[in-house]
Amino acid sequence: MTLPVAVDAMGGDKAPADVVRGARQAADEFGVEVILVGRADEIAAVDPGDLAVLDCREVIGMHDEAGAAVRTKKDSSLVRAAELVRDGKASAMVSGGNTGAGMAAALLRMGRIRGVARPAIATPIPVPGASPTILLDSGANADCQPAWLVQFAQMGSAYCATRFGVERPKVALLSIGEEDTKGSTLVKEARELLREAPGLHFVGNVEGRDLMSDAADVVVTDGFTGNVTLKTMEGLFRWLQGALFGVMTATPDRQAAFDVLWPALQPLIAELEPDSYGGAVMLGVDGLCIISHGSSSPTAIANAVALARDMAAVDLVGALTASVSASSAS
Amino acid sequence: MPAETHESRSPMERAEVVDLIRDRLADILEIDASSIAEGQSFVEDLQADSLALIELVEAIEEEVGERTVGFRIDDDDLEDLRTVRDAVDYVCAKLG
Repeated sequence: MTLPVAVDAMGGDKAPADVVRGARQAADEFGVEVILVGRADEIAAVDPGDLAVLDCREVIGMHDEAGAAVRTKKDSSLVRAAELVRDGKASAMVSGGNTGAGMAAALLRMGRIRGVARPAIATPIPVPGASPTILLDSGANADCQPAWLVQFAQMGSAYCATRFGVERPKVALLSIGEEDTKGSTLVKEARELLREAPGLHFVGNVEGRDLMSDAADVVVTDGFTGNVTLKTMEGLFRWLQGALFGVMTATPDRQAAFDVLWPALQPLIAELEPDSYGGAVMLGVDGLCIISHGSSSPTAIANAVALARDMAAVDLVGALTASVSASSAS
Repeated sequence: MPAETHESRSPMERAEVVDLIRDRLADILEIDASSIAEGQSFVEDLQADSLALIELVEAIEEEVGERTVGFRIDDDDLEDLRTVRDAVDYVCAKLG
């Protein structure tokens, strides 16, 4: 039996309207069964069609303190969505709400995979013409211990293999140079541990400019650096896209040239567009949790829901559990 | 006022509370329970972050709540629980 994907209808800058639109798109275009979790009256006002709705009265805001919010707002959409997964009533949850609270809700309601010290958020960075680079942690743990980065590498490798079919993913450590002498204390200590970790294909340090190349399949870093890196790349992409469009459509001649180029540019832009990748996966919790941007468009939500369905179908959590268990035993 | 105790199960002895907190903390932090001493602080000595402490609080509430109806650790009290001993003393005091 295929379980529905629980969607936090109240999470996101334009929730519930854009979330509901995205959920409907996922149902219509990808055939995903969805259960919307949130205030039923607000969801009804934005036309959820025939999607199932689980009514709950509270909402965790973007500025709420993560752990405290999950403890005090037990009837919130985020907590209820996580409970649906925990209780076996949904295959996965998707939220574009408060990322920290999403992590807390998933961790506190679903629990951690045995042996996992800290869950991490794994985000695919597009690499034109190749499979994406998995960047983790991209925001769950601002401060990390060196050993956690080894575990991120193990989980990232299992995720990369499960989602993108890469047989022996190349793992790298994000730093400010390839040399052993460069980097923070965390980077230097983590590098030694990664080098000695069994079962990993560790290829050394990479720099930020290598993320969109085939230098590595999985890049590990602390959540603070990972989040800054990710947001910088996304901001640059959006700015560059807008600036290029502005220049290329400023006059009728340029617009004519742009019209010729557009069919060739469109696939490249689609490949680089963050919305295409459906959000980030929280690795290490004992259930499937997809984190979307707060600013997610309906298409991004739809892709996140489809990703959730697909990762449930290939039992990503089972693959991660096996990977962590194997590394603990060795 | 102490929380109401289930008739079928006896209230917890202090040693049981110590074991419970050490075991749950060990699970959460992925460390050996025997390495946790009562005098250790959660943050400085055990490197437990805020989320780990909330995991601990929820685990204690769940386990103690099975024996004692209505047991809950007040959020306002959390910042006073700095060491393992603080948490043990707090739970014992609530159990009366």
